[in-house]
Amino acid sequence: MKIFFSLLFFTQLIFSELVLEITQGSEDPYSIALIEFSGSKKITNEINSIINTDLLRTGEFKIFRESQLLSIPTNEEDIKFEDFKLLGIDFIITGSLTNEDKFNISASYQVFNVQKEKKIRTSKIFGIPNKLRQLAHYISDGIYEEITGLKGVASTKLLYVTENINDDKIIFNLVVADSDGSNEQILLKSSEPIISPSWSPDSKKVAYVSFETGMAKVFIQTIATGKREMVLENSSQISSPSWSPNGKFLSLTLYQDGNAEIYILNLKNQNLTRLTNHYAIDTESSWSPNGSKIMFTSGRSGSPQLYEINLRKFSSKPKRITFEGNYNAKGSYLSSGEGIVFVHRSENNFQIALKYTNESFIRPLTNSKLDESPSISPNGNVIIYAITENGMSMLSGVTLSGAKFRLPARTGEVREPSWSGFLR
Amino acid sequence: MINIKNVLNKNFFSPFVFLILLNSCSSMNVTEESVYDGGIQTVEASVKDNTSLNYETKAILANATVYFEFDSFKLSSKSIQTLRSAVTAMKENSSIKITISGHADERGTREYNLALGQRRAESVRDYLAVNGVSKSRVLVKSYGEERLIAEGSDESSHSKNRRAEIN
Repeated sequence: MKIFFSLLFFTQLIFSELVLEITQGSEDPYSIALIEFSGSKKITNEINSIINTDLLRTGEFKIFRESQLLSIPTNEEDIKFEDFKLLGIDFIITGSLTNEDKFNISASYQVFNVQKEKKIRTSKIFGIPNKLRQLAHYISDGIYEEITGLKGVASTKLLYVTENINDDKIIFNLVVADSDGSNEQILLKSSEPIISPSWSPDSKKVAYVSFETGMAKVFIQTIATGKREMVLENSSQISSPSWSPNGKFLSLTLYQDGNAEIYILNLKNQNLTRLTNHYAIDTESSWSPNGSKIMFTSGRSGSPQLYEINLRKFSSKPKRITFEGNYNAKGSYLSSGEGIVFVHRSENNFQIALKYTNESFIRPLTNSKLDESPSISPNGNVIIYAITENGMSMLSGVTLSGAKFRLPARTGEVREPSWSGFLR
Repeated sequence: MINIKNVLNKNFFSPFVFLILLNSCSSMNVTEESVYDGGIQTVEASVKDNTSLNYETKAILANATVYFEFDSFKLSSKSIQTLRSAVTAMKENSSIKITISGHADERGTREYNLALGQRRAESVRDYLAVNGVSKSRVLVKSYGEERLIAEGSDESSHSKNRRAEIN
């Protein structure tokens, strides 16, 4: 009987992981040949498979595997570049497992430029056996960086909330997973809702809103130790936490003034500074990449719109920055500072939209009915958000290069994604 | 077993990488790094058991739920009628304290809906206060869209969710 139950539990764990589904690629991808890594087949198969998926997900690559090639090199000197030029391939990736024992695993990989007929990168990655996925993600990022010149996000993490029903009871989990939705680990389990999770700038802590005490309160939890502290324990309701880029401040929404107002908390000395002062709702604060401005959602014009406060000109009035449509909320800045991403209501649909600072119009990025909580990858290239389809919620992503992918949950619901910073 | 290279590479920049890059004389990019994947600790939230009202007051106040228009926290005349009995009940039993929880439908962002739910609950508290029920007897909080009562995506479901309840 016991064995039966533990088997059931095990399968439950497997099915709660997310599954990658790539629905659309970019218009002008790089063509690359991914040669199977040499070494113990069981390990290299998994590594190659993860690299393949990681690179496909960026939407910027068309990947040729061995079966699609005219010739397969067995070593560096052996590469027949003509065979690759014929297929229109731009780069070749080769690699091998260089060491494998009980405690260490390492791999090396090489990138060749086909046109130049030259090796342009050789890299070595040191890892440990039970962190195989992360090793593969590091390789994917190295390949991505060499070819595109941009930092990759395969080795970064996602933070999100899941909701499941177990035995008629609702369970909320705050979860950390790899950027492809695998390797889910639970940070917090609760029978009450968890919302607004957000990473600290060094990606070592998370802040979130939990209803476990009977009302919305903000907690900060250290990932490695599980240590938690409630923010402003003696205050009443608090929500919408957002970290300053230097990690020293947390902007929050407090409700003590009779309506939602934004405050900034100095995490070291616990000093609170009030930022907004208006009878309308002011919430969903988020900091600009250099920490000089805070964007927030305010109902002061009659409906939710995005506003900006320059922290260096404290007393100046918040500046309204969205004018199209009657619902614009939950804004966040692109890491380059070139624009913002937010939730925009168009007719009766809530979608994720992008607005560049030097343009006056909004660019819709998604097109279903109930898209919410966008979060931008640290390289500014990918936006992940929650979508509701057929009554089920799941995570979906778009890259600025036009690719789309989906991470559907196999059981329960998934929402409120937040992308970590770079971990390498 | 801790590998020296692992320790060095825990920080963002590793002396190893710099050394190798400096020594490389071709135009090829040569790098070395160690995978760092810190551990994660799971914690369980300790959910408070909320004290509920006594039997009588529950019965009296149970039907005092009021509803709102989209993105609004204004009390309709129907709501005001509903609340009249709540006012009477509160005045007759001057010792009871209540909690008003505000809610929103699932459309729009969660935090904005949390604030909207709060405004709705406050509208009810303000109405009670204007009619002689002291604010000190009324606790106000919001669940935003986190406690939907109707699961559908149609207006009929949405309208059931845009509410303030007395518990």
